[in-house]
Amino acid sequence: MITAENLTKRYGGYTAVDDVTFEVRPGTVTGFLGPNGAGKSTCMRMMCGLTPPTAGATTVLGKPYAALPNPGRHVGVLLDASAQHTGRTGREVLTLGAMVMGLDRSRVDEMLDLVGLTESESGRRIGNYSLGMRQRLGIAHALLGDPQVLILDEPANGLDPAGIRWMRGLLRGYADEGGTVLLSSHLLHEIEVVADELVVIGRGRIVAQGSKAELMASSGTTVRTTDDAAFAGRLQEAGLQVTAAPSGLLVQAEPLQIGTLAATHGVVLVELKEAGSAGLEEMFLQLTADDAREEVAA
Amino acid sequence: MSTVEQTAPGRTGVRLPSRLNLPEPTRVPFTRLTAVELRKQLNTRAGRWLLAAIGVVTAAIVAIMLFSGQADDGKNFGDFVAATVIPQSILLPILGVLAVTSEWSQRTGLVTFTLEPHRARVGWAKLVSAVLLGLATVVAALVLAALATFLCQAIRGSDPTWVEWKPLLGVLIGQLFVVLQGVAFGMILQNTPAAVVSYLVIPTLWTVVGSAVSWLHTASKWLDINQALQPVYDGTVHGDQWAKVAVAGAVWVLLPLLAGMWRLRRSEVK
Repeated sequence: MITAENLTKRYGGYTAVDDVTFEVRPGTVTGFLGPNGAGKSTCMRMMCGLTPPTAGATTVLGKPYAALPNPGRHVGVLLDASAQHTGRTGREVLTLGAMVMGLDRSRVDEMLDLVGLTESESGRRIGNYSLGMRQRLGIAHALLGDPQVLILDEPANGLDPAGIRWMRGLLRGYADEGGTVLLSSHLLHEIEVVADELVVIGRGRIVAQGSKAELMASSGTTVRTTDDAAFAGRLQEAGLQVTAAPSGLLVQAEPLQIGTLAATHGVVLVELKEAGSAGLEEMFLQLTADDAREEVAA
Repeated sequence: MSTVEQTAPGRTGVRLPSRLNLPEPTRVPFTRLTAVELRKQLNTRAGRWLLAAIGVVTAAIVAIMLFSGQADDGKNFGDFVAATVIPQSILLPILGVLAVTSEWSQRTGLVTFTLEPHRARVGWAKLVSAVLLGLATVVAALVLAALATFLCQAIRGSDPTWVEWKPLLGVLIGQLFVVLQGVAFGMILQNTPAAVVSYLVIPTLWTVVGSAVSWLHTASKWLDINQALQPVYDGTVHGDQWAKVAVAGAVWVLLPLLAGMWRLRRSEVK
């Protein structure tokens, strides 16, 4: 269980996180989605007590992070896989973690094995690790203390496709066992498979949040006809919101309503379906377009 | 420890970490934090090289003294100990600096301070571990000095004085000061080169400025850590020299330590 309430962080005149409120429930994987610089990492650092918030508060397992005794045993945190001493070996980093948490050293071997770092890899200095290996080590570190809550910032970065798939399975299994998982990404594709809930953030503000199913359902309908341009006009006349999608049109309406309209106007339908993840992607891009660093040409 | 195999439909079988049936955690004991900090000072190349460098320089200076000069001139145990003071007093603070600054330069603070969010406890653990390592280094210097004194007597037939506990205690106290000063400067600046340079430059600059500017003479005498510590190292400290040690120590060690601890607790860890 993680909560953030009216969380705000200002740096001078710049507001990095603006009045963010959300909840991550046990048994779910919550995807924390936003473009680069949207404030995801700042939010996560505030949750872990590393960055003092300007206003608002966060709790983990019902307490402020700093009130957790031996927090590594409650919360698994991976904020930046590259933030490790390059001169230490992977095994040494886990050993230090196990020492602080008061764990048996055999746990280190178990975690190395779990994330697929071999004996010889674990004995190498982290400076020689690829980003993917650092992520695996970071995930091993987060899981070390058998936590009920996982807070992972862009853990899929640098993982190969097999690694991403493995991580999804791991997080799914973790949540299915009752764990709470908060997982950030700037790529919808990366987390839509595994996330139950989504919190979308842009320029420090929450722009959408809810269950993936809800957001998918509300993401509209894709329609393709023999003459999209003409049909778009008809749809707009009917007061519907239409945007051009990569193939066809994205309409904020139920398929039934659109099909009926098409029949009325004698338009030939080529494709008609709920937009689902394509619509979610579109929505994500739109919601964050104003906030994204690369300006989308209007 | 067994692992739990979990296979869910539609997914490849994913192994989850085994559950730990440990008692409800209590807060991390300070001794454990200190042990971890001590290990962190020793498990990197930078840390090991620094200790090796201190060892080599100390051994070299003692060896040079052993074979140079007149065999009957300045070859007492105390003289050998005194020779180790200057090189160690330059290198020991770096030990203190590195114990703190690597959390920022290598960004390991992200992990350290999420595992122990009470940062002051981490700060004290660093202080204790730096002091322990510093003391071990000074004791090693004393052993080397004793060895050299003995060898000098055996090889060159010197007639050394042995028992001088005051300078020994003085060296321990003096070097403790500089280690603490290193930790404090590291905490304030959170950056290795800046901390090392300012540690080396600022007190010396003060000495220079203080002796150059006439109206600063009195203040300079009282606030000069190098001058204040000299009688401590020599083991001749007495009277108002103690007061000078206390005042200079408050300004160059205690105050920076408090400021550093405050900064450690308040600053953002990125």
